[in-house]
Amino acid sequence: MGRYLFLIAGAITLVLMILSPWAVPMREFDGTGYLLNPLGAMNPKGLALPEGLSFGWLGLFFGLWAVLLLTASLVMFLPGAQMRARVLYVLGGVGVLLFALEAYLFYQAIAAANDAALAAGARRPPLRRFALSLGAYAGLFYALGLLLLARMQLPGGLAFLVRLRGVVVPVVSLLLAVVVGAGVVAVLRPGLGTQGVEDLGLRELIAGKLDLVTYTFQILFSPILSLAGIFNSLSFATPLIFTGLAVAFGFRAGLFNIGAPGQLTIGALFAMLVGVYLPLPGWLLLPTAILAAALGGALWGGIVGWLKARFGANEVINTIMMNYIAASVLLFMLAANEYSFFGNKVTLPFKAEGFEGRSEEMQEEARIPHMIDILAPNSTFSWALPLAVVAALGVYYALRRLELGKRLLAALGAMVAGFVLGGLVPGIPVTISSALSSQLLNGSFLVAVLALLFYNFYLFRTAGGYELRATGLAPKAAEYAGVNLKRKMIMAMIISGALAGLAATHYVLGAGMDGTYRLKTSIPSSVGFDGIAVALMGQNMPLGIFLSATLFGVLLAGGVSLNAQLGISNQIIQVLQALIILFIAVGGFLPRYFTDPLRAAQVETEAKAEQEARQAKSSPAAGD
Amino acid sequence: MEIVVALFFSTLRQAAPLLLTALGGLFSERSGVVNIALEGMILFGAAAAAITVNRIEVASGGLEALWIPWVGVLVGALVGGLVGLIHAIASIKYRADQIVSGTAINIAALGAPSILLQVLYNNTSTSQEVKNRLPLISFGFGEVSVLVLGAFLLVPVVWWVLFQTPWGLRLRAVGEHPQAAETMGVNVIRMRYTAVILSGVLAGIAGAYLSIGFLNQFIRAMSAGAGFIALAALIFGKWHPFGVLGATLLFGFAQALAIQLQGGDILPATIVQALPFVLTMLVLAGFIGRSRPPAAVGKPYDK
Repeated sequence: MGRYLFLIAGAITLVLMILSPWAVPMREFDGTGYLLNPLGAMNPKGLALPEGLSFGWLGLFFGLWAVLLLTASLVMFLPGAQMRARVLYVLGGVGVLLFALEAYLFYQAIAAANDAALAAGARRPPLRRFALSLGAYAGLFYALGLLLLARMQLPGGLAFLVRLRGVVVPVVSLLLAVVVGAGVVAVLRPGLGTQGVEDLGLRELIAGKLDLVTYTFQILFSPILSLAGIFNSLSFATPLIFTGLAVAFGFRAGLFNIGAPGQLTIGALFAMLVGVYLPLPGWLLLPTAILAAALGGALWGGIVGWLKARFGANEVINTIMMNYIAASVLLFMLAANEYSFFGNKVTLPFKAEGFEGRSEEMQEEARIPHMIDILAPNSTFSWALPLAVVAALGVYYALRRLELGKRLLAALGAMVAGFVLGGLVPGIPVTISSALSSQLLNGSFLVAVLALLFYNFYLFRTAGGYELRATGLAPKAAEYAGVNLKRKMIMAMIISGALAGLAATHYVLGAGMDGTYRLKTSIPSSVGFDGIAVALMGQNMPLGIFLSATLFGVLLAGGVSLNAQLGISNQIIQVLQALIILFIAVGGFLPRYFTDPLRAAQVETEAKAEQEARQAKSSPAAGD
Repeated sequence: MEIVVALFFSTLRQAAPLLLTALGGLFSERSGVVNIALEGMILFGAAAAAITVNRIEVASGGLEALWIPWVGVLVGALVGGLVGLIHAIASIKYRADQIVSGTAINIAALGAPSILLQVLYNNTSTSQEVKNRLPLISFGFGEVSVLVLGAFLLVPVVWWVLFQTPWGLRLRAVGEHPQAAETMGVNVIRMRYTAVILSGVLAGIAGAYLSIGFLNQFIRAMSAGAGFIALAALIFGKWHPFGVLGATLLFGFAQALAIQLQGGDILPATIVQALPFVLTMLVLAGFIGRSRPPAAVGKPYDK
């Protein structure tokens, strides 16, 4: 069975290598490209490459890959696991090397052509949108697959994979979602530059579609290639970290909190009320506003928790209802100034002048500065933040002997001291591009990091967190052990709601929505739903949540360019998220020992027994 | 008097999609599968119906005929059933958490239609308006869509199927105690598949009613929580067809009232719009009678 799957994978790789472009040295803005394939280039719109640019060497690589694929396919029929593993490791390594060589030769040739053109007096490099493409990537993925397969041949291979199931299931689900998403795009859109081309051959048609889906995902992932893009991605990721933590916290307690959108909305409302109206001394205003955001979310989540604890009302439907109610409350507060109750006119002060439903501006002291102004105020790189991080980490790891509470407190103190001291050290003047300074990433990202740390310490280092996790895993056992389930339930919803409410710090206090320090009725509260995908993809682990939020942040940032360049709706990100949730829910179609902890333990036990048996055989004396 | 009649017909119009969806959910939950994806199934059905009718109109050069909206309803039902099948495969075959799988479908229903709309109409939030809407039935002092009438006629049919036929008995047994049902020779898996697909079909029809009966185009997220309110109606109606009828009429009345009060000076519209949701929460908290779900609901079936 596995053997034939492997042969099929090899065949698919070969077909992709034959049909899809390997590299695209040039593209128009609308995506029309000059597609290179070892068996002949494809150039539907007749783009002209610069003189002297030749990619004849691709044919040689195709031959090498064909040999590699053929050899690898035969390897699985070799007797002896050790032997198979060794050959597969070598072949996989060669494959990765081949890919690296392709990439090197390709980018070298592009750079040479661009340099030549610039030297000849061109104002801009002639080749700007260029990249390797699916044919080359297929080879890389196949080679990586070979390396994994090699590990699988060795003893304990399956147990190795099962131990990594927290990574395997999300990654497999992501890959499946990408494949399905690519299928959707390929069905709905004509190939780039092939629209209106007469007598398109079948091969061109297929290559065009494969090029389209490759370019779609290249655009989606393109933000990671520039610092401004990374800032943009992290700015999209910040609210996702909060809502992902909120959903994950609920999951840990055995509750499904679909109410992050509503909790975020009420959090935003509270933060706005404090930020705009509360007359506090400057230094106290921002912390109070942040706490207010958490409080608003906590209130909205806590109501649901209380209803569940007191009346057994299902939290799933109630959180959804609370989302709609929160949306109504927001509209009520900010969509108009005048209302009539039974004929009596009532005037509300919250909506600012103008057509749009929005609040007044925050007070100066309630604003969270942009990240770039924290890192490099007045175009001078400041040591405050780096030193604060280093000091906090240093103190935390130096004080291993202290108990956790004191250790954290000391680290916090060191962080503040580091921040203050770092601010006194003279900074380094830097130039900041306008693309970078216009990014909306702000200090709320640091609040998100603190929230991640809180999640980590509370759940995995405190007795309360331990009880909470026990409640989620086995409520009856937890109750028997003395946990007050109802109180835990309410508290879990309060904290979960508070985490979701904190997402408002990004949109309202940090102006993360559109650069204005106001609450608007158009606040994208649906990121609360995106938190579900983040939590599932991150497997409710702090690092996992950070990574998956960042991944979705990149995709959301890329989705904006995708819409602009190819006219594909950035709703594709939403579909990808839905697919990821669905695929993770079904365990990535993997065998059940990847999702069921009991069966996973069984696989481990078997692997251990096998290993002991083997040791006993190799040293019979020790066995007795 | 006039306002009472208007309110009455408005209530029927608002209750019909809730009723269709809740009756669908009834099958699913009675078989032991939580279907929180009803909201998404409505949206998929609504999009499919509106786009189908519009495409037929475009292809035929603006033809107006009685059969066209019914093709829309049929496609809406099929698409709803297909989404139901996805939920069934995930939650029955792959034993996915039924709420997670349902949530995935709901999120997909917000995004997927937009991608299709952009390709077809270069617009991510609405479809083109259709001319062929579902026919109306007039009662002299007011008129409602055929599907509204159909929804209410379906209630006794569902009651009869569930409580008077062997199939209904088996379905209820599967939702209460699947192992026992299996020993008695009932194919639990097949019953659940049928029930979940059926719930998708009915939710799809409810969606078709929204897009080509109640309105004349598809609008992104046009279901506005109808699927979730239908779920609440299911709980409030104690998983019984006539109970569900009463619950959906109550919720429909609340929505109709919200519409009637809009623009008036009695209560602000934004507050009134929240009423059905507040009402749902009060119902769920059990302020208006306790209800007990089918015993096996939400649990994957293991032989």
